[in-house]
Amino acid sequence: MPLLEVQGLAKRYKAKDGTTVHAVKTVSFTLDSGQILAFLGPNGAGKTTSIKMIAGLVRPDDGDALIAGQSVRRRGRAALTHLGAVLEGSRNLYWRMTPLENCEYWGGIRGMKRKSSRQRGLELLDLCGLADKAHHTVQQLSRGMQQQVAICCALLHRPALLLLDEPTLGLDLEASDRIQALVRDLALHDQVGIVLTTHQMEVAQTLSHRVAIIRKGEVILENGTEQALAAFSGNTYGVDLTEAPSTDLRDRLEQRGATFDSPVSFRVVLESASDVYPLLDSLRPIGVLRVQRETADLATVFRHYVELDEPSKSLTGGGAE
Amino acid sequence: MMWQAFAAEFRREWITLRRYPTEFFGELVVVVVIFYGLFLGSSYMSGGGIFGARLSSVILGYTLWTLSLAAIGNMGYSISNEAQNGTLEQVFLSPVGAVRILVLRNVAALTFSMLFTVLVIYGIMGLTGHFLPLSPIDLVPLVMAVGTAMGIGFLIASITILFKRTNQLLGLLQFVLLFIIMTPFTTFHGPLQYLGIIAPLSPMVGLLQSMLVDHQALLTAPGDWFWWGFVNVALWLGLGIAVFSRAYERAKTRGTLGHY
Repeated sequence: MPLLEVQGLAKRYKAKDGTTVHAVKTVSFTLDSGQILAFLGPNGAGKTTSIKMIAGLVRPDDGDALIAGQSVRRRGRAALTHLGAVLEGSRNLYWRMTPLENCEYWGGIRGMKRKSSRQRGLELLDLCGLADKAHHTVQQLSRGMQQQVAICCALLHRPALLLLDEPTLGLDLEASDRIQALVRDLALHDQVGIVLTTHQMEVAQTLSHRVAIIRKGEVILENGTEQALAAFSGNTYGVDLTEAPSTDLRDRLEQRGATFDSPVSFRVVLESASDVYPLLDSLRPIGVLRVQRETADLATVFRHYVELDEPSKSLTGGGAE
Repeated sequence: MMWQAFAAEFRREWITLRRYPTEFFGELVVVVVIFYGLFLGSSYMSGGGIFGARLSSVILGYTLWTLSLAAIGNMGYSISNEAQNGTLEQVFLSPVGAVRILVLRNVAALTFSMLFTVLVIYGIMGLTGHFLPLSPIDLVPLVMAVGTAMGIGFLIASITILFKRTNQLLGLLQFVLLFIIMTPFTTFHGPLQYLGIIAPLSPMVGLLQSMLVDHQALLTAPGDWFWWGFVNVALWLGLGIAVFSRAYERAKTRGTLGHY
């Protein structure tokens, strides 16, 4: 049984002019323990609404989410015991209280005893390198630290599923790195399943095992991150040389389809990986600094899918075209 | 789970109170001045003859009004404040449930208000040397009144959770509540007598009057206002919770739970 099973979630709103707006048309995906799913989409695609439907904060018109087998619609409170969430655009914390006091409070309203929420809070703050800030008020902390404390508070009751809506938005590089390390650690060591929404494709690519792309309220790609990237990575190889080849050699390479980006580096399409050897032979005696198969990044995959105009081109669960 | 949640709410209340002493002392000054004014002002205006049961009645009437206002205001204020600060959705992620959290939060805040008020009253009694014939049993109608006030608080919270801004309404409610407390519904006759049972807080006001002015016992006061008080609490608290539950579901359907 998957940790999270999102089944055909849909949400419609009535606009002020009386028209119906389909905020989310149909969202389905699954997630196992220890996996990180990057839930990507352009602004207004329906990411936050979907996350809030999974958390039970927005009632879906259709569909349901099952967390550890518990229906969010029918057994909301039971489902919530398995869930932690840090929502975008919210402070998620009481700023007049210290991180430790926040831990005690949020643990308490999730049914934890003061002693255990305090202990667990200290443990998590220590893990984030914030043990020395445990007794400062939250409003005195930097935005990155506040975000880390919010994640700590969402983890107090050891939830099996963590929803993170834009966790690194607006953070500096160091804070962003710390949060990414924490997220990776939670999935790897604590087997927490994590749904992560972000506009930062490099963050999504670094962290995620799976990727789901939503566009205009519909999931148009759900796949393993590596598979999604591999499907977009062709047989193009980049080669960097120690010196520029002679005109004669350059002509011969260009005849084979090579494109020079600079006098010492070029890209060439090979039919198979074993064709690298004849290519290297042809370059002798020039030194070779790098030969690398060029792989697509998540930004390329994302752009490809969100820029699709025709819904008929949608590919769910299939990888690439 | 409920006890842990209550303890957490109680601690949060205490931390906020203790951390910002200017707010705490500001509140203290207001309460001391009001009660001191009630003690001395009433005595002066009535030529010194008001001490005793009458003054107890004035003091407890005022306490009932302030506590009821606090119980009602806390609900609306708590929701709009938390929505504004961005913590409301986290609170509603608690498996304890929205209604229970709000009740626990209100009980925690009112416990402090009540302790605070009682301490101030006894402090002033010590200062002025005028001791009122107050007994713990006099608190019973107050606690019952808080139950009804919480019901009205849930009605206000229902409006707040859907529309978020209810400050104007809360301001207006002070006078409505004063009117309800000052109107002797329990003395009405004919068909209007039922207003004494239905009007919010009315049985508790009647009961308090019987106990403090006419020296009746809690359970045997004429008119059975103690028992009608329970009906009043059940009616308003039940109505408040039912309406709030609907409003909460409606806010979730509209997707506006955490909006401000």
